[in-house]
Amino acid sequence: MDVMEQKTVELIDSEEKLSSKMAAMKEAQRKFALFTQEQVDAIFRAAATAADKARIPLAKMAVEETGMGVVEDKVIKNHYAAEYIYNAYKNTKTCGVIEEDPVYGIRKIAEPIGVIAAVIPTTNPTSTVIFKALIALKTRNAIIFSPHPRAKQCTVAAAKLILEAAVKAGAPEEIIGWIDVPSLALTNLVMKESDIILATGGPGMVQAAYSSGKPALGVGAGNTPAIIDDTADVKLAVSSIIHSKTFDNGMICASEQSVTVLDSVYDAVKAEFEYRGCYFLNEKEIKKVRKTILINGAVNAKIVGQTAYTIAKMAKVEVPKDTKILIGEVESVDISEEFAHEKLSPVLAMYRAKDFDDAIAKAERLVADGGYGHTASLFIDTNETEKMAKHAAAMKTCRIVINTPSSHGGIGDLYNFRLPPSLTLGCGSWGGNSVSENVGVKHLINIKTVAERRENMLWLRTPEKVYFKKGCTPVALDELGSVMGKKRAFIVTDSFLYKNGYTRPIEAKLDQMGIVHSVFSDVEPDPSLASARAGARAMTAFEPDVIIALGGGSAMDAGKIMWVLYENPDAPFDDMAMDFMDIRKRIYEYPKMGKKAYFVAIPTSSGTGSEVTPFAIITDKETGIKWPLADYELMPNMAIVDTDNMMSAPKSLTCASGIDVMTHAIESYVSVMASDFTEPLSLKAIKLVFDYLPRAYRDGNDVEARDHMANASCIAGMAFANAFLGLNHSMAHKLGAYHHLPHGIANAVILTDVMRYNSSEAPAKMGTFSQYPYPNALARYAEIGRYVGLKGKDDREVFEKLIDKLEELMREIDIKPSIRAYGISEEEFLSTLDEMTENAFNDQCTGANPRYPLMSEIKELYLQCYYKNAETSEAKA
Amino acid sequence: MANQQILAEKSYKTVYRDGDTVVKEFTASHPKSNVFNEAYIHSVAEEAGVPVPAMLGVEPKDGGWAIRMEYVDGKTIEELIRENPEQKEALLDRFVEIQIEVEGRRTPKLRNTRYKMEEVINGMSEIDASTRYELLQRIHGMRRHTKLCHGDFVPSNVVIREDNSYCILDWAHATSGNAGADAAITYMKLTLEDPETAEVYLRKYSHKADMPIQYIQKWMPVVAAAQLSKHIESERELLEQWISVAEYM
Repeated sequence: MDVMEQKTVELIDSEEKLSSKMAAMKEAQRKFALFTQEQVDAIFRAAATAADKARIPLAKMAVEETGMGVVEDKVIKNHYAAEYIYNAYKNTKTCGVIEEDPVYGIRKIAEPIGVIAAVIPTTNPTSTVIFKALIALKTRNAIIFSPHPRAKQCTVAAAKLILEAAVKAGAPEEIIGWIDVPSLALTNLVMKESDIILATGGPGMVQAAYSSGKPALGVGAGNTPAIIDDTADVKLAVSSIIHSKTFDNGMICASEQSVTVLDSVYDAVKAEFEYRGCYFLNEKEIKKVRKTILINGAVNAKIVGQTAYTIAKMAKVEVPKDTKILIGEVESVDISEEFAHEKLSPVLAMYRAKDFDDAIAKAERLVADGGYGHTASLFIDTNETEKMAKHAAAMKTCRIVINTPSSHGGIGDLYNFRLPPSLTLGCGSWGGNSVSENVGVKHLINIKTVAERRENMLWLRTPEKVYFKKGCTPVALDELGSVMGKKRAFIVTDSFLYKNGYTRPIEAKLDQMGIVHSVFSDVEPDPSLASARAGARAMTAFEPDVIIALGGGSAMDAGKIMWVLYENPDAPFDDMAMDFMDIRKRIYEYPKMGKKAYFVAIPTSSGTGSEVTPFAIITDKETGIKWPLADYELMPNMAIVDTDNMMSAPKSLTCASGIDVMTHAIESYVSVMASDFTEPLSLKAIKLVFDYLPRAYRDGNDVEARDHMANASCIAGMAFANAFLGLNHSMAHKLGAYHHLPHGIANAVILTDVMRYNSSEAPAKMGTFSQYPYPNALARYAEIGRYVGLKGKDDREVFEKLIDKLEELMREIDIKPSIRAYGISEEEFLSTLDEMTENAFNDQCTGANPRYPLMSEIKELYLQCYYKNAETSEAKA
Repeated sequence: MANQQILAEKSYKTVYRDGDTVVKEFTASHPKSNVFNEAYIHSVAEEAGVPVPAMLGVEPKDGGWAIRMEYVDGKTIEELIRENPEQKEALLDRFVEIQIEVEGRRTPKLRNTRYKMEEVINGMSEIDASTRYELLQRIHGMRRHTKLCHGDFVPSNVVIREDNSYCILDWAHATSGNAGADAAITYMKLTLEDPETAEVYLRKYSHKADMPIQYIQKWMPVVAAAQLSKHIESERELLEQWISVAEYM
């Protein structure tokens, strides 16, 4: 063996030499960082092989130098560190691209961290070196070892041997380094100059690592409490504990420090411990051993890693030479009890617990005494799942091993094959650590994630059936009876429509099909939660299997809310109304609709498009809160667009709802969510409104105009049900709410100003959506203009013509030129302006606007629309 | 020195009363800087508002230096305990309260406990490198505090006057740092004389200062090493035992 061979290299024993050593290592690491996975794997394998072959001489050296532990056990540790770590990571990708998903456009690239500072304890002076060196090589890092002065020779020997093997296999010369003459100053310098610290040591060392300012993976002391439940296999439990506690004379930090035994099996456990060669101390002996194992609350250094016999001798207690463990039966779990501490030797505390809860309470306290975050152990029949869950919940430890020798169990891969093998066991925040897992290669790489821009999946969602044509209502309804076999229909409408006989044809058709029906006709203009609840109560009493909402937006919205309350009486409105950034990612999940009733919407005005949208607005008149609800669960199942239901709409309604359709269509066209599927709908609706709204307005009996407006409303509804709206609606919602302007009018008086605002080619902020590449509203508006026949030399000119055309349309249908012209006093307007501005900004519609508005800009727009066209409006007034 | 009452004598100094004053006279070989340093530390404590004998001056004396300060009329707590053993508990309570009161003051003007201990331990040849490494590491892990620590707070250094007011003597070892270290020193000194009193003290201190015993215990190996550097043979065995502990290894 050439382990002991001394090469004539410079000893690292001063800060200057260490600094130049680390500079050389950094250079070596820079070269190593360019190695391929194949090269790295060959080096990893060579290093593991060399360490594995040297396991016995290294173990002998460690015991000889430190005077602690058991050669045979240290051989196992070295063997484990070489073989298990190699096996665990031999196929792990640690270089370059380690993960790739071209469909989602994501790629993960592993990069080394740099130089690792590794602080090595005396308890595992060679196996820890093997472990840390191997994971450093596998990840293309350099590693510098800071040995404990008590174990420097064997630590350095292990490091040297691995370096030689690695270099022979192609690694850069200086990739592994060490301090030859350790001192705290050099250890601190190593930590300060490294890129990451793998510190294994006590609280002082871990503290020093964390305060060095470098990221640290530190671990600390354990105080593993074992519990033997009355359902446990006593023989397995006792032998497991002996096996673990005697391993390397109890120096493993995950080793059991106490065993708490349930009363009913206590005697059996005790007898088994005795039978297997453990020694129970009597009262006097306990006192002597207490004084020997602990000095002023700290473990006596002289007992660490010694045999039970040696420790007993130091305490002047006579025990057989082959005694395995000294056991003290003690009662207190308080820190003042010496046996309650971590003892780093084959000395064990044994407690009697009256029941399982008592045992857990004791274990909890023992963990708090000095083992936060480390390991806990339980021996139990694994059918006792409840007890196991209780134990797991109570232990503030990062490893909980069941029916397992904890020394071997904690380090992984020996008694459980999914717990990764490691000699550095993270203790989580409980132990003041940055990791709670068993440390492995993943903790020594930086992962770069390369994320390519991808566009969202979009959708087109509409009612499963949209029927349209003048006079189609009875034909469409026929399906309810003949195909669907519905038995009970509940009609929701307002009193005007009911009194004027609008429900009669529907009722007649239902009668004809033998469908019993009931009518709720108390829907008010801004439907209230109270009336929706009343309707829902009536529904619950009537138990319909189909709901028919007949009316304008109010009746259809009220019908949707009643539907929600009927199907899900406990639906929480404040959760349902919660604003979302992306409807697919919203926090609240809507209840599934349609389990009780099918929903049919029949509009009587050409405006809201509610028959095909997933939206509904309801007002709680007691609190004044408007709940805007939006979810595809609210989408009607069937829409019937029948101009017969719209012929009597008064002029004012035709105007306001007609211009609302125009706003829906324009906003959905320039929305960041507009798509090939919604754009044609928007464009067609715009053209229909330009062509037919003035006619329908001038002559309510113009069937052709009414027909096209009915379709335009529904088509625009489908567009904005999927592409959503924008700032125009956000501002109009608040204008309507604060100053009681009809919704359509509120939209109209700000429409061209908002369009001009959106058309900026250099807006303060643009909308956030991956489909939205750059500010393009101007081009989009120009597309609308061209579609409706406007021409110009560039987009700006077409846009200006479109604005003119819209203003002309609005003049034709007698829309007033400003907010002020609608009689809203300046004082009132200005006093609500700031609140309106903030609420408009926060409106659900704002998110889809192509220009992301600043509140100051919204305020400016409001002011502009209030005062604009002063001359015209005064002349008209 | 004929009409001067000798109060204490050590190899390097003689303390005697001179009328209303007390003179601490150092031998000529005692470093001048040490004498001035002691006077300085004493003055810092005085300025911090701690009841100490008024510092009157540093003067040359027989080729060496002497510190002159106010004579304090009263009895030390050590004397009081000896004379009134039945009042031991109450006197120890008072003792602990006074210590905590002193430590309640912050001062950045003195050398830090941590650095002082580090320096002492670094210069010790009587313990091996591994142990020094562990002790330094232990100090390194301690929190950074700037409490006024007397450094030799023992019952013989606290005088109680007739009117029950107190005065604290001998500031040569004071530092700015961790009260835990200060308490560990007191505990160690008491243990060396009377382990039972030391235990009573430790419990009282921990309780009144609301400081866990473990925190004070963390300092014990460090203060024991510092004490060991004084080479007092009778203390060696106990101190070596205190030093020989493992935090983690």
